[in-house]
Amino acid sequence: MNDAPARALDAAPVPAAPKVKSRGLFPAGRTGAAMRAALLPILVIVAWQLAGSGGSLAGGVLPTPDRVWDAWVVWAFGPQGMGLNPYSGTWLSNVLFSSMRVAQGFVLAMAIGIPAGVMIGWSRAVSGTVDPTIQLLRPIPITAWLPFSIAVFGIQDMGAIFLIALGGFYPVVVNATHGARDVDRNWIRAAEMMGASRFDVLRRVVLPAALPAIFTGLRIGLGIAWTAVIVSEMVAVKSGLGYVLWDAYYVGRMDVVIADMLSIGAMGLLSDRLIVTVEHWALRWRRLQSASR
Amino acid sequence: MGTIRFREVVKTYPGKQPVIALDRVNLDIGEGEFVALLGPSGCGKSTLLNLIAGFEEMTSGALSFNGGTVDSPGPERAVVFQEAALLPWLTVEQNIAFGPSVQKRPRAEYEPKIRELLRLVGLERFAHSLPSQLSGGMRQRVGIARALVMDPKALLMDEPFGALDAQTRMSMQQLLLDVWQSLGTTVLFVTHDIDEAILLADRICIMSARPGRITREITVDLPRPRSVDQLTDPAFIRHKAAIMAEMREAQKEHA
Repeated sequence: MNDAPARALDAAPVPAAPKVKSRGLFPAGRTGAAMRAALLPILVIVAWQLAGSGGSLAGGVLPTPDRVWDAWVVWAFGPQGMGLNPYSGTWLSNVLFSSMRVAQGFVLAMAIGIPAGVMIGWSRAVSGTVDPTIQLLRPIPITAWLPFSIAVFGIQDMGAIFLIALGGFYPVVVNATHGARDVDRNWIRAAEMMGASRFDVLRRVVLPAALPAIFTGLRIGLGIAWTAVIVSEMVAVKSGLGYVLWDAYYVGRMDVVIADMLSIGAMGLLSDRLIVTVEHWALRWRRLQSASR
Repeated sequence: MGTIRFREVVKTYPGKQPVIALDRVNLDIGEGEFVALLGPSGCGKSTLLNLIAGFEEMTSGALSFNGGTVDSPGPERAVVFQEAALLPWLTVEQNIAFGPSVQKRPRAEYEPKIRELLRLVGLERFAHSLPSQLSGGMRQRVGIARALVMDPKALLMDEPFGALDAQTRMSMQQLLLDVWQSLGTTVLFVTHDIDEAILLADRICIMSARPGRITREITVDLPRPRSVDQLTDPAFIRHKAAIMAEMREAQKEHA
């Protein structure tokens, strides 16, 4: 046996990445990368601040960054009460309202979308029965479902959760279908040759093989889930970041509007990172694979 | 027990222009025999293996394994694939354990066996490595261990060493010779390499393409146990010359 392990990790350490020479403004490595990433946002904020005068720009419509910041601080930490500022101190509860709806709706989207997608990709019979209906309904934008949702569920949580689940469901189901359909034929044959039942093949071959595609679907679906929660809160529910966004716009509080927009962005980013972390853990085998290529 | 019998087996792939992959193939493989299917790519030798493996259905004819019909894949007919076809998310050990575990065999029974097989194929240190961390030769050794752990009655090998470099290939051939010598399992070995066929097989079935047919059967009477050192023996060279002549002859007849 003289074929030496070509890429065995425990035989030889993986060579360190070649040192990247620092170019221009930034030092090499993580710190430099962080600085490079922060440059553009900082420039935008500074330019925005300088363009305004007396706390606003564009004829008094847009508040400058310092005003947005002040508005957010009051929104987040101000005393709650029936004062002149109805938003004071309500930031956290509104973030939680929206996040809970996204979480509930998205769990529903996953619970239906992943099994449905894997079954559609795996079984021609299921595909033929279910897939045409999904493809027929998919072009209807979730915003078009709003009146339907309000009529059926009323002005309450269930309407928002329905829209979020529906919006998140499509990318999850479509990507899971792709993943389950593209499984290497020899993996399935090998499993069958070893005595695997149809269910074994589904659970132990098709599902793990489809996981990378499933995670892609989850990330896209979560983005749509945030869109759905904001839209439905603007119209159909009386709490959450979407509700505050529309309400603040109505009373001309553009500082709160912008603080709200940035909060939505931050929550979207945070929840995406959460999925990426789970993905990282679930697809460890893939990381080793690409590291050795 | 591990006899294979093909009687007038035809396999056609439907389409606008149907392809006849196998045309009235007859083949008998006896208990414990090592038969090599030798032929150019696209001659239907893999199709023939897929039929006995239960991966594909024949169009007409009769096909039996141990006297019974073949209608699905199963662990008594273990397949070794060309690119190993290991499950990339399972470790070496988990890949080998896949068969016994889906067959619900007790862990206490197959775990010692896996350790023994890992030693046999020289991969003890890599039990917890992932397939992507192994070289091509090592992966194929896992493929062989995964087949052997099921105590198959026949080993069906589809150009298992075709993708390996010459040196690795020879070490794998020696490994297979040693393993087969001690187990005596029936082997059907698909290859396009004449040296490999002579070195390994008791009998070589030469196939021709379009339509796929077995045109010649040649018995290899080199003594056993064999080793890769014999590749340069005068007796080996004589066999090779005879087989090459037969292949030319067969090609002429079917041109």
